[in-house]
Amino acid sequence: MMLQPHILIKHKAVLWTLVLFALLYSTQAQAQQPSEPAPDDEVITRQLEEADDNATPPKQLDTQDNPAQESEVTAEDSAPVQEEEELSDEELKALEAALAEDLEAQEDTPSLATTASTQGFSQSTMGRTLQSMNPDISLILDVAAAGFSNTPLQGGAHDPNQNGFNLQQLEMHIESNVDPFFELQANIVFSQFGVEVEEAYARTLALPANLQLKAGQFLTQMGRLNPTHPHSWSFLDQPLVNGKFLGGEGSRGLGMEVSYLTPLPWFVELTASSTMATGACCARSFYGGQDLGVNSPTDLLYTTRMEHFFALSDSFSLLWGTSAQFGPNPTGLGNRTEIYATDLYLRWRPLNNPSRTSVSLQVEAMHRRRQTAGDILVDNGGYGQLVWDINFRHALGVRYDFVEGIAGGLDTIDPEWTENRQRATAQWTFYPSHFSRLRLQAGYDNPGWYERPILIAMLGAEVLIGAHGAHGY
Amino acid sequence: MATKKRENKMKYNHLKHITSAFITLAIVLFAHSAWAKGKKIRVVTSTPDLAAITMAIGGEHVEVTSLARHTEDPHYVDPRPSHIVKLNKADLLVVNGLELEVGWLPGLVVQARNKNIQAGAQGYLDASSVVKLLQVPTQAIDRSQGDIHPGGNPHFTYDPRRALNIAAAVEKKLAALDPDHKKDYAKNNESFSSDLGTVIKTYEDKFAKLSSEQKQVVTYHASTIYISDWLGLKEVMQVEPKPGIAPNPKHIATVLTAMRKQNVHLIFQESFYPKKASQKLAQLAKGDLVVIPGGTNVSDGQTYIKRIKTMADAIYKAASK
Repeated sequence: MMLQPHILIKHKAVLWTLVLFALLYSTQAQAQQPSEPAPDDEVITRQLEEADDNATPPKQLDTQDNPAQESEVTAEDSAPVQEEEELSDEELKALEAALAEDLEAQEDTPSLATTASTQGFSQSTMGRTLQSMNPDISLILDVAAAGFSNTPLQGGAHDPNQNGFNLQQLEMHIESNVDPFFELQANIVFSQFGVEVEEAYARTLALPANLQLKAGQFLTQMGRLNPTHPHSWSFLDQPLVNGKFLGGEGSRGLGMEVSYLTPLPWFVELTASSTMATGACCARSFYGGQDLGVNSPTDLLYTTRMEHFFALSDSFSLLWGTSAQFGPNPTGLGNRTEIYATDLYLRWRPLNNPSRTSVSLQVEAMHRRRQTAGDILVDNGGYGQLVWDINFRHALGVRYDFVEGIAGGLDTIDPEWTENRQRATAQWTFYPSHFSRLRLQAGYDNPGWYERPILIAMLGAEVLIGAHGAHGY
Repeated sequence: MATKKRENKMKYNHLKHITSAFITLAIVLFAHSAWAKGKKIRVVTSTPDLAAITMAIGGEHVEVTSLARHTEDPHYVDPRPSHIVKLNKADLLVVNGLELEVGWLPGLVVQARNKNIQAGAQGYLDASSVVKLLQVPTQAIDRSQGDIHPGGNPHFTYDPRRALNIAAAVEKKLAALDPDHKKDYAKNNESFSSDLGTVIKTYEDKFAKLSSEQKQVVTYHASTIYISDWLGLKEVMQVEPKPGIAPNPKHIATVLTAMRKQNVHLIFQESFYPKKASQKLAQLAKGDLVVIPGGTNVSDGQTYIKRIKTMADAIYKAASK
């Protein structure tokens, strides 16, 4: 291990060569990349010329055209472009004329164009061919600095939940079509303490009768936010009701899901899934941390959802969903839990606005009933959020959370949650590009059983690399 | 005896019901097949330019819907669930490709549960596979260079010459999906190609007469390279410092200096990009900003040829000043 530095130090010649290379490299790098414009006129001109080169890089055209030479039409087209730089005006004009003739020929004989199209694959570049067999892989890092005026009570597993710095998650998303029949999606989440398979499922592509099946580990269709990942959320933390009713990681599990797109003229999708009812992270209101096994089909967790979409106008749209979950809980033999939920998503996005402005209102409400020994515990919760995407660089959001508590410590999952809890959150997002965002969030959390509310401030950064699949609506 | 008679009567009743059910079914089936015969090929395209080209080739035999509007940036289309319904019923999906739609279309296609339009299926056409591409990166790229499309610049429908190739591919696809009207598609393509060919020639001649100074242009996003390629324009710079990165004052100053130094008087950009920076630049450089539509206004019945003419006219008018 220590050998290499030794060699370098011993052989000064090697060192000097390296230094020289480094110098050469740095000057080259400078020449390639125009940096900040200096006041010096000459420098500006030089930079402009460089930028000019960048705008229409002849080299790029060059290699693109090479693989295309198998096809007649394109090969002839490419000739003048290739040598554009070294040619005089006259030669250029001659070549332009030749190009025009080529095009005329193309117009006169549409069959040639057809030939080009049949040989389309020959025009694909090396890069595309290489990439096509790899799945799309992306890595998303969410980190945040947070401050709480009181002991934090964050419910989400990816929420910033301590004073100071927080690693919310490092998420690796991998997806690809398997064959004509399946696609695979996997979401592997790394935390400071380990790795977890957040989602990994196969989904069918070619089932008849508008059906689609999913099998594996997945987030259930319990409400609007639950099946989505933190990096598509507007806020840095999860709504309270999701954490309390569904789990810190949201409702998810190993299982199977079938969904049906109805043939109605507007979008109506019906989904039903069956998953394991265990996991403190992800089936909190059901078996939770206690694994009581599956002795009959009633020991599984069932989730259903119906989703309607209405395009109210070109700019306004409305998504309405109703979900329900049914499953066992561990408080006694045959004791069940039911959760009913409804959600609304109203979105305004004028299609002709260049700044990509949109305003969206999202509301979710949940109602939970749990059988316990000799009692039925009922509580409700929900949140509403309004997000204004001002343009593609800035967004503002506000959110209000409300979750009921159960008095007397009867609630075995959250015995301390005896009163109502309200939280108000405001947030500002800045997008340096489409692949990164910085978020500043302030919260006022008021658990009824706390003497004083918790004031929250968070600053989060999210960066994404790699090819990341499309998000849903 | 009485019971037996009754039983018989019941049997007869059953028979009657079954017969009538069969007759109804037969009528329904017949009606269905008759309807299916007159049925149009349902085509969904990702962008309105592709829709307009498909309309020109398919004519009366197709029903074409574009998911993106002509006023919408095709990189950022809202993946509305209503698009899933359209994709679910489509016989043919024509996409632009080269990851132009990567942010919104793939998920919709999976959710559409329509095996005929999955990538590589019979009812799937990737237009980028049939045109000659520009700006295909040959060096290693990463996103520090901006939002670069690894397969090449995807905005090729702005170039009518490339539209000819797309039209040919659409004709082939439609003929394969609907062999009954093969001749009509060929005829439509012939007339479309010849009309478009005339337009191509006309504007090439017109622009060829401009001086090389007049042919210099600054564009907002690196999406116009195919227009410049067609009309022989020289793109001096982009208002965006890097693709997808919003302009900053320092960069705009650099652009302005370049425009003054090199006598550039023309800026063009699509309607869905912010216009203020470009307007200011045009004003300061004593030039013109030409705002071109990002696609054919198919919902108002505009044709692809009309769209190309309008675009080229506007650019010519500003450039020839």
